Amino acid sequence: MSENVEKYIKRKVYKSTSSRIAQKFVDAGLEKIRACINCGTCTGSCPSGRRTAYRTRSAIRRALTGDESVLKDIDIWLCSTCYYCYERCPRDIPVTDMIIKLRNIAVEEGYILDSHFGLANDIFYATGHGVPATGENNKKWRDLRESYGLPPLPPTVHSYPEAVKECQELMNAVGFRKLLDNAAKLKEERAQAAKKDKEE
Amino acid sequence: MSEDYKWRYGFFLGCVIPNRYPMIEASIRNVFDYLGAELLDLPGASCCPAPGVFRAFHIPTWFVIAARNISIAEELGVSPITGCNGCYGTLRDAWYELEHDYDKKKEVNEYLAKIGRTYKGNFEPKHVIQAFYLDMGLDYLKDFIKLKFSDLKVAVHYGCHIVKPSEKRPWNGEYEAPRFLDEIVEITGAKSIDYKDKYMCCGAGGAVRTAVKEVAADFTREKLVNMRDAGVDIIINCCPFCHLQLDLGQVEVNNFYGDVIGEPFHIPVIYITQLLGVAFGMDPNLLGLIKNHELQGVSPFISIDPFLNIVKEQLI
Amino acid sequence: MTEAKKEIKVTGNERPKIGVYICHCGVNIGGVVSVPDLVEYTKTLPNVEVAQEYKFFCSDVGQKIIKEDIEAGLVNRVVVAACSPRMHEPTFRITCKEAGLNQFLFEMANIREHSTWVHMRDPEGAYEIAKDHIRMAVAKARELKPLEVQKVKVEPSCLIIGGGVAGMNAALDLATEGYKVYLIEKTPTIGGHMAQLDKTFPTMDCSSCILTPKMSEISREKNIELLTYSEVVEVSGFIGNFEVTILKKPHYVDQEKCTGCGVCVDYCPVVVGNEFELGLATRKAIYIPFPQAIPGQYTIDMDNCIKCGICARIDVCEPEAINFDDKPEYLKIKVGTIIVATGWDLYDPTELKQYGYGRYPNVITGLQMERLLSSFGPVIGKPVRPSDLKEPHSIAFLQCVGSRNFREGGNQYCSRVCCMYATKQARQYKEKHPDADIYIFYMDIRAFGKGYEEFYESAGQNYGINFMRGRIAEVIEDDDHNIIIRAEDTLLQQPIELTVNLFVLSCGLEPRADADIITSLLRIQRSADGFFLEAHPKLRPVDTLTEGIFIAGVAQGPKDIPDAVAQAKGAASSAAVLMSQGEVEIEPFFAVVRPERCIGCGMCVENCAYGAIELVEDKWFGTVAKINEALCKGCGACSGNCRCSAIDIIGFTGEQIFSIIMGGEL
Ligand SMILES: Cc1cc2nc3c(=O)[nH]c(=O)nc-3n(C[C@H](O)[C@H](O)[C@H](O)COP(=O)(O)OP(=O)(O)OC[C@H]3O[C@@H](n4cnc5c(N)ncnc54)[C@H](O)[C@@H]3O)c2cc1C
Ligand code: SF4
Ligand code: SF4
Ligand code: SF4
Ligand code: SF4
Repeated sequence: MSENVEKYIKRKVYKSTSSRIAQKFVDAGLEKIRACINCGTCTGSCPSGRRTAYRTRSAIRRALTGDESVLKDIDIWLCSTCYYCYERCPRDIPVTDMIIKLRNIAVEEGYILDSHFGLANDIFYATGHGVPATGENNKKWRDLRESYGLPPLPPTVHSYPEAVKECQELMNAVGFRKLLDNAAKLKEERAQAAKKDKEE
Repeated sequence: MSEDYKWRYGFFLGCVIPNRYPMIEASIRNVFDYLGAELLDLPGASCCPAPGVFRAFHIPTWFVIAARNISIAEELGVSPITGCNGCYGTLRDAWYELEHDYDKKKEVNEYLAKIGRTYKGNFEPKHVIQAFYLDMGLDYLKDFIKLKFSDLKVAVHYGCHIVKPSEKRPWNGEYEAPRFLDEIVEITGAKSIDYKDKYMCCGAGGAVRTAVKEVAADFTREKLVNMRDAGVDIIINCCPFCHLQLDLGQVEVNNFYGDVIGEPFHIPVIYITQLLGVAFGMDPNLLGLIKNHELQGVSPFISIDPFLNIVKEQLI
Repeated sequence: MTEAKKEIKVTGNERPKIGVYICHCGVNIGGVVSVPDLVEYTKTLPNVEVAQEYKFFCSDVGQKIIKEDIEAGLVNRVVVAACSPRMHEPTFRITCKEAGLNQFLFEMANIREHSTWVHMRDPEGAYEIAKDHIRMAVAKARELKPLEVQKVKVEPSCLIIGGGVAGMNAALDLATEGYKVYLIEKTPTIGGHMAQLDKTFPTMDCSSCILTPKMSEISREKNIELLTYSEVVEVSGFIGNFEVTILKKPHYVDQEKCTGCGVCVDYCPVVVGNEFELGLATRKAIYIPFPQAIPGQYTIDMDNCIKCGICARIDVCEPEAINFDDKPEYLKIKVGTIIVATGWDLYDPTELKQYGYGRYPNVITGLQMERLLSSFGPVIGKPVRPSDLKEPHSIAFLQCVGSRNFREGGNQYCSRVCCMYATKQARQYKEKHPDADIYIFYMDIRAFGKGYEEFYESAGQNYGINFMRGRIAEVIEDDDHNIIIRAEDTLLQQPIELTVNLFVLSCGLEPRADADIITSLLRIQRSADGFFLEAHPKLRPVDTLTEGIFIAGVAQGPKDIPDAVAQAKGAASSAAVLMSQGEVEIEPFFAVVRPERCIGCGMCVENCAYGAIELVEDKWFGTVAKINEALCKGCGACSGNCRCSAIDIIGFTGEQIFSIIMGGEL
């Protein structure tokens, strides 16, 4: 094959849209997303877009037109949820909530960063805290608490083991456990497939 | 409620305050007590859950755990109060949505029934700043001021979720240029300095810090540059996660962006109740301002000594 | 065949033979419910002699079906189940009349708006509701009585409220046709906003050059009574016979004596912001709004006057025109028609804090830009930026400020003129400063009018104006008061941070802040956007729902000058149609007293908002209420409150209403 064919021939003609992702917004009562006029106020407001490749409007647009690559890109995880886009959108679209919903869909399909997965699974699910003070590693923080005259552990789930159980029961019932397990499975499958591809 | 208290709240600690910046916890507890407001513990409260991460993973989980946390305060017959913008965002948004969506509330209660709890929704979640500004009022606070700064230039950092989404917040829809925190800061005699992009996000939230620290730190870099350009002495904020990002984040900025920032940053980061406390003439030990230097690798990461020196010079 | 001959005599006593005509309205009704089934159902209702369906009963063919049944004596009451009576009640009344049936023996069942439109997704429910409506209409039809229309005289005079380009054009047309016109203008001069404009798109003719000749024409026209600095304070009466009270505000300068020399201005010590120049210049407490103002006599602004008396000195005002004791005057006039042409207010962008208006000196509105560009404006057409009075090298315009914004406080509609005026202003600046960098940030450019697209194309090609597709998110100010713009170039998907010297907000047009006052004085309606509501968006665009009152110009909705003038001429013509006929028919839906039941308590006298009831002595029944049919609006306030059920509203009698409620069982 000529090198130039590979270099210049892209055949990237967009042939159709798919409403699969958009439909999930509609099902969640967030059909307002469809009112977007692509004015760019959201991107223009976005402190993240000023330093990263994340483009708020494009994320919305891709979701609407069914470009599923939006779920894989790390972009949507670079929104700091500052809510500027949400406040300023002239179509009154709760843009930040849309990004959050988009992340929900991504996680459902197994697109979750390792760091986020660890946080959800090993820390939040296990302890009930997002930033814990238990465990050997965290002794310095317990000491720090004591240095200010506070008990080493706060009166939160950390002091009430049955409360951790309560939280876990809720998370199981509402489907969080299943979601994480499924995400882990999909991640693993993708990793295997990628490995196989590489070997070939 | 003991007779001496005028207000009573359920202190929702969250995660970062008790587990990384306990000096904030100490200062909130002592300042509230000093002001005649009782803070009850919320036994067994969990992570709020954090809006940028856990809400972003699974909205239903976020709802039920948030409702559980609020229900703990409800059982005690008080509003949950938090010193964290993230917890405020979660508790208040969940409360707001549950108040406006009967079906959602019913669904959430079906889950809570499994652990023998119910969410009623009759107690509005509040922020420490909301208690100061709306429940107590500036005039009430002013009566407690014993000492005033003569020359303290402050970069006020609001953070995002204390004002936005504005329709779910108590500030009359104001989000572009609120003043309430500046007004609280200024009763201490300190001057709130205008700096470029004052209302910009610190960069930590929305799972960004966990995803890519460098990106979060780049937000922080921009803020710090603007603060330094305006010539401020300290940073005042009202959120432990912003606090962490502006404190520990300074170390990271100095590290990642050393080549573009020139001089490394070392601006003391002070939580609002610590500032108020010193102006009330309270013992700095009660405000978590005196660090045990034997502890290694703990907060604050940027020395607050310059602030303590100003306190000594101007207040004592 | 004359109408009189054809009139089929129907008395209240004759057995009702009801014809029900159910319309498909294309697919509007027929596409949701089964019209044949409705017909079958209708046939089961008592007194229904004929039930028929057709695709469009409002069409000629459809009307003919009804006429034939009437003429054949098959039916003596007609029910059409179709669209809204607002739409076609007049049509079918004429159908009946033409076939010789008294037009008030007609009743309409609205099964489109009330049923198939609102319940489009629930055909079964819609079918049930359609049945109810038909049953109710048939029940009422059974009780209908023939009525006679009332005729009232129409005064050949018109009140025009608002002396902008719309009001002026309507006034001139009517005056030339020979009608007496009262042109009421709230400010001391006519001309409206157009007087503030420099050039006008798309032809770039100078606004003053085309407006001021019209203004003097108005002042010369003998059929126009121009009342500036005046406001309408009371309106009573009805079509053809409106009684209007006008407040003439005191000028404190005798308008007869003032020669317009302007010497007083030099002496007046009070300097205040000039509203005509939108704060970009000052004026004195004694002033005319702008040099070409009509009338050209001066006015003292008493809110700011310190009564120093200098202007009253004989060496200052030679004709001795100053009169500090001037008092408001009230004038009562009688007119046959009214045209509302009160125009618009500019959207105030202060609330959109992200754009810095009111905080940063170099952020201005489009109307301020218009004054800066005006050759008789504060800087004689050489725009400078407010902070340092230097000519800007770079200017950015932001479109849709306050328009097309679905957030609270924003206007959802497109203001229709701002795309074009920004393009115009950009071109004007470029003409004089070819090196300048001009940016227009837009969501969509709306260049829909005649010659507009060409104007827009030329702005790019011949003037090099940069059209940037993206709505600005926020601006900040740098140390030199330049404005740093943050936006996305949506076409490049790239965030922008652009620094410009001057930032112009293309603010939209809004309903007048005091539109509420006009609404309640004239009892006309406003649409959801706040502008005055037309009777029908397509077919009656200059009429209001109150007979005899018309609307023109931006008062009805945002529009440019060509459209405002076209609409003004339309309103003038519609008013003339009424006045040239000399009389109009009004519906006989007024209250009648049954003296035998009335105990003369007088409750109704107090309840009537229109003063239509008085107590009189009747030779049989003693003190009883009596209704002045000309004043009665048929609102029903008296009837509903009468303890003795002594008052009925014709066309809506107790029996008729009860029969509707009981669905024909009464
Ligand atoms: C910046 C800018 C530039 C524009 N440039 C162009 C252009 O180049 N070409 C173009 O075609 N269009 C242009 N337009 C649009 C144009 O201004 C309007 O189409 C025009 O003003 C409509 O005239 P009007 O008579 O309906 O309203 P107005 O001009 O607002 O006149 C209404 C009059 O009624 C009076 N009034 C109001 N209330 C009362 C009351 N209660 N009693 C008595 N009097 C009352 C007012 O004082 C005023 O004199 C521009 C608009 C803007 C904002
Ligand atoms: S601001 Fe709103 S309408 Fe504009 S591009 Fe973003 S989501 Fe769409
Ligand atoms: S909420 Fe997220 S997407 Fe919106 S402006 Fe802030 S960082 Fe950007
Ligand atoms: S005319 Fe243009 S600028 Fe004005 S509201 Fe419409 S689209 Fe926006
Ligand atoms: S219906 Fe009665 S209250 Fe109404 S206007 Fe007529 S007389 Fe007056």
